[in-house]
Amino acid sequence: MIIPNGCSFDTVTVTATPSGAQRSSSEPLWRSLAVFRFVSVGYAALRLGAVDQSEYSRPDWAWAVIAVMAAWTVGTTIAYARPDRRTWPLLGADLVVTVGLLLSTALLQYPDATVHGALPVTAIWMAGPVLAWAVRYGRRMGTIAALIVAGCDFVLQRGAAFSAALNGAVLLLLAGWIVGHVARLAAEVATERQRVVEVEAASRERERLARDIHDSVLQVLALVQRRGAEAGGAAAELGRLAGQQEAALRALVGGGMGGARLGQSGSAPDVAPGASGELDLRQLIMSAQTDRVTVSVPAQAVLLDRTAAAELTAAVRAALDNVRRHCGETTRAWVLVEDEPDQVRVTIRDDGQGIPDGRLAEAAAAGRLGVSHSIRGRLRDLGGSAIISSVSGEGTEVELRLPRVPAIAVASAPRTA
Amino acid sequence: MSQHAPIRVMVVDDHPMWRDAVARDLAEAGYEVVATAADGAQALRVAGAARPDVVVLDLQLPDMSGVEVTRGLRAAHPAARVLVLSASGEQQDVLDAVKAGALGYLLKSAARPEFLDAVRRTADGDAVFTPGLAALVLGEFRRLAAAPAGAGGDAPRLSEREAEILRMVATGMSYKQIASRLVLSHRTVQNHVQNTLGKLQLHNRVELVRYAIEHGLAGEPEAGGRA
Repeated sequence: MIIPNGCSFDTVTVTATPSGAQRSSSEPLWRSLAVFRFVSVGYAALRLGAVDQSEYSRPDWAWAVIAVMAAWTVGTTIAYARPDRRTWPLLGADLVVTVGLLLSTALLQYPDATVHGALPVTAIWMAGPVLAWAVRYGRRMGTIAALIVAGCDFVLQRGAAFSAALNGAVLLLLAGWIVGHVARLAAEVATERQRVVEVEAASRERERLARDIHDSVLQVLALVQRRGAEAGGAAAELGRLAGQQEAALRALVGGGMGGARLGQSGSAPDVAPGASGELDLRQLIMSAQTDRVTVSVPAQAVLLDRTAAAELTAAVRAALDNVRRHCGETTRAWVLVEDEPDQVRVTIRDDGQGIPDGRLAEAAAAGRLGVSHSIRGRLRDLGGSAIISSVSGEGTEVELRLPRVPAIAVASAPRTA
Repeated sequence: MSQHAPIRVMVVDDHPMWRDAVARDLAEAGYEVVATAADGAQALRVAGAARPDVVVLDLQLPDMSGVEVTRGLRAAHPAARVLVLSASGEQQDVLDAVKAGALGYLLKSAARPEFLDAVRRTADGDAVFTPGLAALVLGEFRRLAAAPAGAGGDAPRLSEREAEILRMVATGMSYKQIASRLVLSHRTVQNHVQNTLGKLQLHNRVELVRYAIEHGLAGEPEAGGRA
């Protein structure tokens, strides 16, 4: 007798590529960054041309700086478009170039320009590398880049412009920190979504496997079993083994797939896991099915609390072990599960030679408690009973009765009244 | 009633290997395999011309459920009796098929003599009750009895004797063993078993009619037996 205890189908594993997920999740941020850079170059040009014009001692050189900014914007946008080019050298160069252009302001503007409210020649364009660092490396590096850029900005400030520069620095720090945070969140969400997709794919694959096993392997095993039994000899043994595996697989597949299949055929799904830790007794006992043991159950789930279901199943197994031990491997046994309003009844019958009168009492008296202990004891602990009856020569019948707990009886009783 | 014209059998199964093996077994045993079908639609189409006595029906078909095929066959070709074969314990499907009019149910792993015997008995109009089917029928009567009154109306009930006999069938006892245990004739045991199935199928038909009326005769009678 082979009782499959805990087989699993975990053969499908899809490996995740977190970095891939992270990159794809940050793509919109990189595009936003590119847009920001182009717009901010435009704004810097506008400041220079229309607002701060009079503050520049060398406006022609300032225009040259704007041209470099525009070129650098085009260059970085192209470079950042490919994930594999978003590396330290590029991001470092981006920061250095930006800071350099920012500091060039000192040579282009009159010394008191900032006091009059002029912005550096780069204006808000200097936030570009801060955002790039934040998107690429998260909020900590975003904050560091912001500190570097803001520090250089402070170098340019004189006297009364200090508070405006402080304001700009705080905004820059916030931008670096928040964008880094958002980038990290996006990556986490993408990784999570990726994981969910993988789990879903794996379970779909498992279902497909189960379906295929159901469709093909079970058919073949059943066929081998039939043909083997007819051929006799060694083939009969093969057939018997095929039959065992067919029963084991059937129990396994039936357990996993039942819900979906029944749901699809329009019937009430009957293997749904019960609320509050209840188990379907049928599934537990079905696993005892072999070519010698026939398990018959109702179509509806027989829900029992976890312990009761496990103990009852253990008692059934003990009874079946007993059949095998005392009556031999060839004895057939039948298990019937019944769900009555006030109790769950499991009957185990075999077609062995039966137990001679008094043998059970004799065994108990002699201290060999086997059947009495493991079957009767378990049932008594659960508040149920076990009746073992046998007619010599006509097999043994063990009837296990487990009363329904009051809560369930109360819930179902008034409806029938 | 065995030595008349050979029993005409139609085999419905989507697995060619299985279908051929079953057809060969039947032919070797002297049955006439009048048709085979790989899906439900084909089965329903062919049944009219083939006029089988027995349809050996796999519950798992690619296009429609075995329950639907059973219902269709019973409606269009009442003379054809349906023996359901399933590869696994699809309890609810088996029960639904039996309620829809299938006369018996056998696991595909059943031995050849058992299978051939089941086909012969189905042709004779005897219900083929495996322990599994008996447990399903027992459970269904219990469910109907426990269902709230009114919705299901007059739910059918098992007599004590019928319940006793079904429990014996469900624990693997043969009709002969039951007859000797209860001091009844073999035929009486068989009748009791058959009656339980008849009650269930009748109730199912009443339920279908009730359902159709309640839904203005418009709905597909799909909620078979749900009280």
